[in-house]
Amino acid sequence: MTKTPLLEIEDLHAKVADKEIIKGFNLTINEGEVHAIMGPNGAGKSTLSNVICGKPGYEITSGSIRFKGKDLTKMSAEDRAREGIFLCMQYPVEIPGVAVTTFLKHSINAVRKYHNLPELDTMEFVKMVREEGKKLGIDNEMLKRPVNVGFSGGEKKRLETLQMSILKPAFAIFDEADSGLDVDALKVVAEGMNGLRDGKRSMLIITHYQRLLQYVVPDFVHVYADGHIVKSGDKTLAAEIEKDGYAAYTREK
Amino acid sequence: MGGLVQKVKLFGEYIPWLQAMRDKGALTFDDLGLPTPKTEAWKYTKLRDLNTDDLVIEPSNFLAEMRVTAEEACGCHHEDEGCGCHHHGEGCCCGHHHEEGECHCHEEGHVCECQQKLHVPFDAYVIHFEKGKMIPPFPDFPRGVEVMNLMEAVITEDAKEYLGKVADIKLHPFAALNNAYMEEGIYLCVHKNVKVDKPIVLINHTKSGEENIFFNIRNLLVLEQGAEAEFVEWYNYTGAVKSRYFANVVNEIVLGKNAKLSHYKLQDEAFKANHIALSVVKQKADSNYHNFCLQRGANIGRNEVKVLLTDENASAEVDAAYIMSGWATLDTTTDILHLSPRTFSSQLVKGVVGGEAKGVFQGKIHIAKDAVQTEGNQLHRALLLSDTAEIDVKPELEIFADDVKCSHGAASGELDENQLFYMQSRGIGREEAKQILIDAYLEEALDKVKNPEIRAWLSDYAHAPQE
Repeated sequence: MTKTPLLEIEDLHAKVADKEIIKGFNLTINEGEVHAIMGPNGAGKSTLSNVICGKPGYEITSGSIRFKGKDLTKMSAEDRAREGIFLCMQYPVEIPGVAVTTFLKHSINAVRKYHNLPELDTMEFVKMVREEGKKLGIDNEMLKRPVNVGFSGGEKKRLETLQMSILKPAFAIFDEADSGLDVDALKVVAEGMNGLRDGKRSMLIITHYQRLLQYVVPDFVHVYADGHIVKSGDKTLAAEIEKDGYAAYTREK
Repeated sequence: MGGLVQKVKLFGEYIPWLQAMRDKGALTFDDLGLPTPKTEAWKYTKLRDLNTDDLVIEPSNFLAEMRVTAEEACGCHHEDEGCGCHHHGEGCCCGHHHEEGECHCHEEGHVCECQQKLHVPFDAYVIHFEKGKMIPPFPDFPRGVEVMNLMEAVITEDAKEYLGKVADIKLHPFAALNNAYMEEGIYLCVHKNVKVDKPIVLINHTKSGEENIFFNIRNLLVLEQGAEAEFVEWYNYTGAVKSRYFANVVNEIVLGKNAKLSHYKLQDEAFKANHIALSVVKQKADSNYHNFCLQRGANIGRNEVKVLLTDENASAEVDAAYIMSGWATLDTTTDILHLSPRTFSSQLVKGVVGGEAKGVFQGKIHIAKDAVQTEGNQLHRALLLSDTAEIDVKPELEIFADDVKCSHGAASGELDENQLFYMQSRGIGREEAKQILIDAYLEEALDKVKNPEIRAWLSDYAHAPQE
């Protein structure tokens, strides 16, 4: 079976405020694959996700990122999202004064519009959000609250998962999705992630610890240090790191 | 001759007390002159852009009306039939001049142009003004609510007790001018314990003309003991956007014991026009006054509210929102005087400033010597959308009493890049994301509007893109 590449990153170099963070990064993720990137703190893991998603303030100095064969680096952050890239954030941002439903409605309709689909009317939208929310234990009360304001760590992650289940992205990046979660919350998040594994959708899990990978088992594991991948393997690599730590890889340079 | 000082013939020059007030206004303005950048109360308001030289004052409607009545006017105007929007001296309400009998305004289904444009989207008693002049008829008010044009209330002397006695013109050149031209406006009196069932809306609609007109509106609102009302001012404009008219408004408001007034205002003037307004409110014991003003139009827009809490347990909330771009200056000035013990005030003002515009907030809380156990709070916040936008804030606390609670705060900031990126990463376009954040920012202030219908109406204007 031939694999269809979804995300192709070649020899990527990127800097933030004149400091080079990503140094010759290569990675290809095919349709349906789940990759994990593990790395020590300060390795530039979050920079990588921000660069893929087009956050302002990051400058790509050389290399390429293609998504479904299209050059991502020329696209705005919103167009990347509309193409099907979803960033599940380590620290979801609080937006006072904007209700979750308002936010979700703008989001889903912006994506639909991009794909020349009619906007959802309020009834259709509310029905869908309530149904999806119910699966994640998100009640109507939570949907009325301002986005992430006063949410617990678990609630924030559930809202991220809800957004994902509504937007149905082709590719999702989980940036330290397990940080600040207790075991129960972690299980909810992992369930949500596993629910999205349908053999077609791809994922990139960025994490410091192996913890999450016990629940969401990746197809590939990469060790990321000093701005590039230093070792790749299967799920056993994660267990190895959990046992031996990152010291062996950071000393390599 | 143009300008702010013109010789015009006004109604009722034979009424000594009225004429004395006008003369005093003219003399005071002559003494004070226009504020300069050195005038403390006006130093942030860019009055050099006022351009008054070619302003024209239109002839009095009251004097014209007598003439019109005598001559039966054009023959196609009718207060009792047709659209009900009577337009003096301009021919037909459809804007055209017709030969007698050719007007189609009363044909079935015809809706007057100005009514189409200025539909009040909630149930209300609506009083129409056009270019600063009242357009009869009045709606039918319920028992216990008395509304007249101001000159009528001068003749009946209903207005005599308070007119010119609430607003102090000594230090306010534009209020002095308003005195000098005192003629148009309404007198509203809500009798003891009467609660008006619907908001009373005063719409001033300015349509573009070839001349830059200058008009003054003076309203006197009296709520007797235990009376309750909602009063809405709506300044609206249609026509060529370059019209540079000048609206100068003064409201004098008296709240009797335990009276309650919600006073809302939408300032949506043409972007080259100027709008300067002063509301002075005198409150008796246990009364409550709530003012909310949304400014989104005009080149120079100033909304000044002065509240005198003269008796115990009187309370006032003075809230506002403004949204502006281009080169406008929008000024919100408040002066809350706690003159008696146990009086309460709070203020929340939020603004959004873009382009090369300038927002001004001057908020003064004065607590008199004996006004103990008083509480006054004030908060101003502004969102700056560009590097060239400017905001000037001058909070002033004058506290002469002990045992009071008083606070003020001011903050300005920019749109949060992390919030913008978060929304973009969910597919929401950057410009749309900005608008969502701006709307959310103003929502906190709009939340202060208690009447949900009026809130929704103001909200639509706060969130609509500016021309």
